[in-house]
Amino acid sequence: MLDRVPATLRALRNAFRGAPKLSVFFIGVCIILAILPVSWITPHDSIEISPAELLNAPEFGAHLLGTDNQGRDVFSRLIHGGQSSVRVATAAVLLAGLLGTLVALVAGVFRGWVDRLLMQITDAFLSLPYLMVALTVVTLLGPSIINLIIVIGFLRWMGFARVLRGEVLRLMEMDFVRLANVAGSSRPRIMLRHVFPNIINTLLVLATLEVGLAVIVESSLSFLGLGVQRPIPSWGNMLRDAQQFLFYPGAWWFPLVPGIAITFLVMSCNLTGDWLRDRTDPTRRQL
Amino acid sequence: MGSYIIRRVFAGIITMIMITLAVFILLRIGGGNPVEYMLPPEATQADVEKLTAAYGFDKSIWAQLGIYYKNLFQGDLGDALQWDHQPVTDVVLSRMPATLQLTAVSMAAAMIIGVAIGAISAAKPDSILDRVGKILAITGQSMPVFWVGLLLILLFSVELRWLDSAGGFARLGPKAIIMPAASLAFFLIASHMRIVRSTMLEVLESDYIKMIRAKGLPSRLVIWKHAFKNASIPVFTLFFVNFAALVGGAVVTETIFSWPGVGHLLVQALINRDYPVTQGVIFFVAAIIVFVNIFVDVMYAWLDPRIRLS
Repeated sequence: MLDRVPATLRALRNAFRGAPKLSVFFIGVCIILAILPVSWITPHDSIEISPAELLNAPEFGAHLLGTDNQGRDVFSRLIHGGQSSVRVATAAVLLAGLLGTLVALVAGVFRGWVDRLLMQITDAFLSLPYLMVALTVVTLLGPSIINLIIVIGFLRWMGFARVLRGEVLRLMEMDFVRLANVAGSSRPRIMLRHVFPNIINTLLVLATLEVGLAVIVESSLSFLGLGVQRPIPSWGNMLRDAQQFLFYPGAWWFPLVPGIAITFLVMSCNLTGDWLRDRTDPTRRQL
Repeated sequence: MGSYIIRRVFAGIITMIMITLAVFILLRIGGGNPVEYMLPPEATQADVEKLTAAYGFDKSIWAQLGIYYKNLFQGDLGDALQWDHQPVTDVVLSRMPATLQLTAVSMAAAMIIGVAIGAISAAKPDSILDRVGKILAITGQSMPVFWVGLLLILLFSVELRWLDSAGGFARLGPKAIIMPAASLAFFLIASHMRIVRSTMLEVLESDYIKMIRAKGLPSRLVIWKHAFKNASIPVFTLFFVNFAALVGGAVVTETIFSWPGVGHLLVQALINRDYPVTQGVIFFVAAIIVFVNIFVDVMYAWLDPRIRLS
């Protein structure tokens, strides 16, 4: 029986053994939505205002999740909003991961005063109340998607730097790195060819967990009106719109929908991150 | 031990200098002229220049930086541009009690509930309670705190009409703290639960617990008297970590419920472009975080000689 299953499929099945399948699936859907153009994936226009259909209740066939305070289809805005949120969070985590990895590699490979200086800077950043600083920076620079990505990226790299530096220090003591050193490899070469490939696993785990957090930071800032700007939807600014209609009778689904989407994505990232960690390092399995 | 404390405090001071420097430069380079936000729209260019000079904003950034640090080392954070030009220290410290109150109540609630659920689920792993607790923990950590706040308002203010959502302590009395504290606590319960459960499971596997069990002590006493005591150490660390995170992290919650704490103050200061107050809020919150970190490190060093000697 087993022989009939193609080898690639078997490898795939093996790779996902014990995975939280629903979470991985949801993350996959989010990634696909983030890549495709908006008009392909939304059933209605997500930005155009339609005064004839204010706050319609959900109805199958017309507006699956109803309409918002400006008559826009909530389901379309949910998809478009998810695209903004996922794009911002992923880009921010890429930036944070890049910065953190760079700091960790340089600190761990060069050591000495370079290490001490970089770790002092990391500590300083860790002592920042990051949400407050994010608010301040976005207010000053002006809210935009690019600024949002930069701010979140620059305020969340420390976790990567701390954990990965530990890994780098451990790897530097191992024989293959010492041999490379004896063989005359330069320090940048050791860094990129020998150390970096061995920290990718940890980097991936951290990044998955961090995307969930970045989604929350993005939605918090957008909720306060300092993130993704109207009319472009994001899950955070959809909740900002919803907040003004909390006391509107019968509009209870309005604040529910984007919040559930955020919760699902964050939960999926957390569960997938935990699973990846267990897979790559069974000794750190959480009870 | 003494030298370890001195080293940590010294590093803490350097951290504070780095933070104040970064925030100062950010505000002076990134922000526009704050004076323009203080004058009425009909003010002339001459008025703007006069006031700019009066506040010293026309000096070079390095001269302003020099004055800022000279005053800072004398314990003076300057005067607010708004808030009747009161000293920044007074403005920020007058809002600190509200934030600390909110932090204290939500942390106490989270700790009691989280520790209880964590201990119970460790006592009976894979029971229904354990599974419910696990789901609660995963959900709590995934829901944005401000959304939980909105849901609470929707449920208790809009549908049930039990609690008012805005007004803070001054208007609503002690009832005002229930919803903001609950939304923060819901997030915190998860971390307490997870850590208590995993340390309890570890402790319950240890030899001395097996020994007491073998002696025939009832299970209830084993868990609550012996295991619980040793599992409570990580909870205290978590307490301090969460405390530091909450003082700076409750901004959005304070904004939703108009809770008059430092987070709310920061948002107002940013709207008015009141840079001295902005700097002041971040200074005090960062100082709390730095102090708590030093305190935790020193406690650990005191408990574990390997750390202070390395």
